[in-house]
Amino acid sequence: MSKWTKSNQPGFFEIRLESIGGLGANLAGKMLAESGVLGLGLNGAGFSSYGSEKKGSPVKSFIRFCGPDMEIRDHSPIEQPDVIGVFHEALHTTVQVLSGLKPGGVVLVNSTRSFEEIRSDLNYPHGTLAMVDALGIALEERTRVNTSMLGALFRICDFLDRDSMRDVIRRTFEKKYPQLVEPNLRTFDRGYDEVQFETVESPAEAAAVSFLRQQPQLGYETQELGGIIRTQGNSLLKDLSGSRQGYVPELNLESCIHCANCDAACPDLCFVWESAEDKCGRRQMFLQGIDYQYCKGCLKCVEVCPTGSLAPLREEAGYADSNRVAHVFN
Amino acid sequence: MSIMEEAVTALTTPEQTVAFESGNEAAAMAAMQINYHVMGYFPITPSTEIAQILDQKKAQGLHDIQLIAADGEHGSAGICYGAALSGARVVNATSANGFMYMLEQIPVQSGTRFPMVLNLVTRAISGPLDIRGDHSDLYYALNTGWLILTASTPQAVYDMNIIALKLSEHTDVRLPVIVAYDGFFTSHQKRKLHYFQDGRSVRAFVGEQPPAGFDNVADPANPITIGAHMNGDDLLNNHYQLHLAQEQAAGVYKQIVHQYEQLSGRSYETLELYCMDDAEVALFLLNSAAESAKDTVDKLRAEEIKAGLVRPNIIRPFPAEELRNALRGVKALLVGERADSYGGQGANMTHEVRSALKLDPDNSTIVLSRVFGLGGKDFYPDDADAFFRLALEAVEKGRAEVPFDYYGQVPGEEDKRLQPVLTPRHGDAYKSGLIQITPNEATGKLKVKLPPLRSLTVKPKRLAPGHGACPGCSAISSLELFYKGIEGDVVTLVQTGCAYVVTAGYPYTSHKQTFVHNLFQNGAATVSGMVEAFWERKRRGEIEVSDDVTFIMVTGDGGMDIGMGPSIGAALRNHRMIILEYDNEGYMNTGSQLSYSTPLGHQTSTSGVGKKQKGKAFHHKDTPQIMAATNIPYVFTAVESMPQDLIMKAAKAQWYAQNEGMVYGKVLSTCPLNWRSEDHLGGTILKAAVDSCFFPLYEVEHGVTTITYDPEAKNNRIPVSEWLEMMGKTKHMLADEELLGAFEEEIDKRWERLKLKHESPLL
Repeated sequence: MSKWTKSNQPGFFEIRLESIGGLGANLAGKMLAESGVLGLGLNGAGFSSYGSEKKGSPVKSFIRFCGPDMEIRDHSPIEQPDVIGVFHEALHTTVQVLSGLKPGGVVLVNSTRSFEEIRSDLNYPHGTLAMVDALGIALEERTRVNTSMLGALFRICDFLDRDSMRDVIRRTFEKKYPQLVEPNLRTFDRGYDEVQFETVESPAEAAAVSFLRQQPQLGYETQELGGIIRTQGNSLLKDLSGSRQGYVPELNLESCIHCANCDAACPDLCFVWESAEDKCGRRQMFLQGIDYQYCKGCLKCVEVCPTGSLAPLREEAGYADSNRVAHVFN
Repeated sequence: MSIMEEAVTALTTPEQTVAFESGNEAAAMAAMQINYHVMGYFPITPSTEIAQILDQKKAQGLHDIQLIAADGEHGSAGICYGAALSGARVVNATSANGFMYMLEQIPVQSGTRFPMVLNLVTRAISGPLDIRGDHSDLYYALNTGWLILTASTPQAVYDMNIIALKLSEHTDVRLPVIVAYDGFFTSHQKRKLHYFQDGRSVRAFVGEQPPAGFDNVADPANPITIGAHMNGDDLLNNHYQLHLAQEQAAGVYKQIVHQYEQLSGRSYETLELYCMDDAEVALFLLNSAAESAKDTVDKLRAEEIKAGLVRPNIIRPFPAEELRNALRGVKALLVGERADSYGGQGANMTHEVRSALKLDPDNSTIVLSRVFGLGGKDFYPDDADAFFRLALEAVEKGRAEVPFDYYGQVPGEEDKRLQPVLTPRHGDAYKSGLIQITPNEATGKLKVKLPPLRSLTVKPKRLAPGHGACPGCSAISSLELFYKGIEGDVVTLVQTGCAYVVTAGYPYTSHKQTFVHNLFQNGAATVSGMVEAFWERKRRGEIEVSDDVTFIMVTGDGGMDIGMGPSIGAALRNHRMIILEYDNEGYMNTGSQLSYSTPLGHQTSTSGVGKKQKGKAFHHKDTPQIMAATNIPYVFTAVESMPQDLIMKAAKAQWYAQNEGMVYGKVLSTCPLNWRSEDHLGGTILKAAVDSCFFPLYEVEHGVTTITYDPEAKNNRIPVSEWLEMMGKTKHMLADEELLGAFEEEIDKRWERLKLKHESPLL
């Protein structure tokens, strides 16, 4: 898949993983880098975007390879990668996942959808797209998405040694969790074997995907002194739907008794209420629905619902948008 | 003594092994191979990993370092100093405000001349808070008397940790040493590096034991006094000795790195000079940025520009002589600094470079100075290129038109200013009128009448959605539930920790009413000042505000360890405020290290489980009882899984804070990520914690204890194992009868004692 070898190219071979915290992209990136360095004797660096972001927030992991005799001195994030691995297909709504992709590069997406749909989502009409149902594999094998993604990435970076990665997986698990060795090896192998490719030839003039080094929204003339924020509550502008990992609560208002247990348990303030008259003509609060823009899919609400009106639902594309009851602020 | 030290111990070159590791892993590896006696530590990003790795290795029985989890960095520095006074080998690691907090202790150690090694994993100091790397913390170390080595790669971190100890303990030095490396850039990037295969090679190099013949407290046969106070006559002489030691350290460093080069094949010259032989323009940079800039030097050399780079491996003592030699032919030098000495027309390195050159009458190098890369702002090869262009321009013009400036700042665009998204609401908007509180004079207690939860949904929430907490985090739901019981305006301060970080990441805030952050330990003191000034200004008629503003200090995530002193101070002064602690049983914001509220046996990243260790070694802190002993009017515990009880206690808390004085309340708060529990089980786990009597729900009102929910009386009591089995962090306890027994015994003891208090108003 990738023609890069340690001798035929003077520069770096660079991989960027786009993920959300909790899917293990950081670990996958480091294992990938380690396998190239310790397994193949390449030189390499592996690192991640670091911040105070918690589980569920967008993160990036970077892998830089070069020949054994070349030094890696650059510490800066990878802006123009050869390979991009997208761990969560909804990420493109909040992150420019394809930013800077080199001509001839490969994009890997964890998805069950069609090449066509993903190309359209990502605005990626030409070039090589690889797809793998990494989540499906992980759910079936009771392992994690990062291992199936790693399998697919090894297929893409065919200069890497599949067996050395299998050894790393074996070493990682065999001491403490021997029962996890086989499922993880299977997950890795299935990612490797099940990844599908589609290449749409680029027109001759097609260039790299442009990249923009992100600038802060505010500058020294537009920040308030001392970093004070006057726009209280402006986090409501954020869309957290990308933080979900497969499930949303489904609300059935028919059986709901409006007890507000869900509202008390929800960490993400998703439940929308309105005052109306009850059957006896008294003012009373009524649950209207869920604002899925903020729902991270923890399902605590399901657990505390006394009537079973909230239930877990394997989220399908479009469900949250069409069933969202938006908060009305002010 | 010195002859022995100078004798090179290793004439053979020991085996080395290739690894792919980060700077923190490298520092931990060196510490493990040295097998220090003691590490007193306190978690702070990005240095915490070192303690975590050492804990993990200790659980596996791979070293004997006594890892002591301190109550804060000031305490950790004290522990390290104490250990050094015992003649032990001591290591520590910290960053940013952790270093600032221990700063008081730092010159004590150098002034009394006790060696140790501190890894300073450099990070921006607050405020505003920023967890990424710059050198603002490092620059505070410059005047402390410690030697400072600067390690620019993970390899250098490993090597310098070994070099540092030998340097520190050397007869002619006897000073503590800082090994400074860049937070995240070096601490977290994995790189290829070489280790000595066998720790014995390292110990042979540094000496199996600390050199003998130096005073310490471990020898009762030779009693000594350490730390007698002095007057100026004596202090000047003491400091002159320290100055001499710094001077001597320069030469000792050269000897040691020479010996180390023979052993390892790696060289750490005082100054690394990259393409400096004929350089006409050059950069002076510390640590990782210097490594990055070498690629730019190569690129410029290919364009036939005579570019070069100077990077020191040691900055205390400052290598002035070497710099003068290196810069003799350089026409323009740009000193790039990841920190500023505000108002100083250049930060510290700029002035030290300039003053070094000033002593060379023949030197005519133009020195430019730029502050860059603050708060971990990335440094790209094109940034280094821009620096060289500035130097080239100065050469061309024969002078620096702008000798000092910042680099990388942007003015911002008017149309991108923050726009309000909510019309602020206050006062009556947050009053439901549905909560009634009446003091009962006969009992001395408050009676609260609450409507159903449903009715209270009419109150606007005080937090906006869109915050960044992990899925299933109970800190946020507990806080919002607490707010439900509070009527009218609030001013909230959240100390550093998860609940702060996820609700106030610039330029966003999830707080609808006024919110303040202050550092981990100091929230209680800050709110004390805030509330007193507020009422004083109101009394003077300077502000027109209602009488019922409630001041809430939210702590948790370990904040009642480091912040205990200020909290007790605020309680004893009895300010009209509430301290609300969300107790997630660890330091979860920094990656799940143990806090004093972590229960016995529970696994965290610094209380690992292995053949030599079974999770946390001591029992959880009984904070409500400590706070009750300050005799404040109201103390409570609550959980979100009993929302009515929590809201009732919030309402009482507000009444007491408005009418009598300070309130302390603790809510137990699930952290699914680090408790390794299912996201959706948050409430269920809390209920089990209560029903197992691990976390009894009670209040102490005017000193009288009332259990507000008694699982035994309700026939709901469950064995603690039923709580523990819901969490990955405690699964190992179920199979360990001894550990489980000890935990159950402590729970029973505290529960029985609480029941006696409940029965007797005098207890």
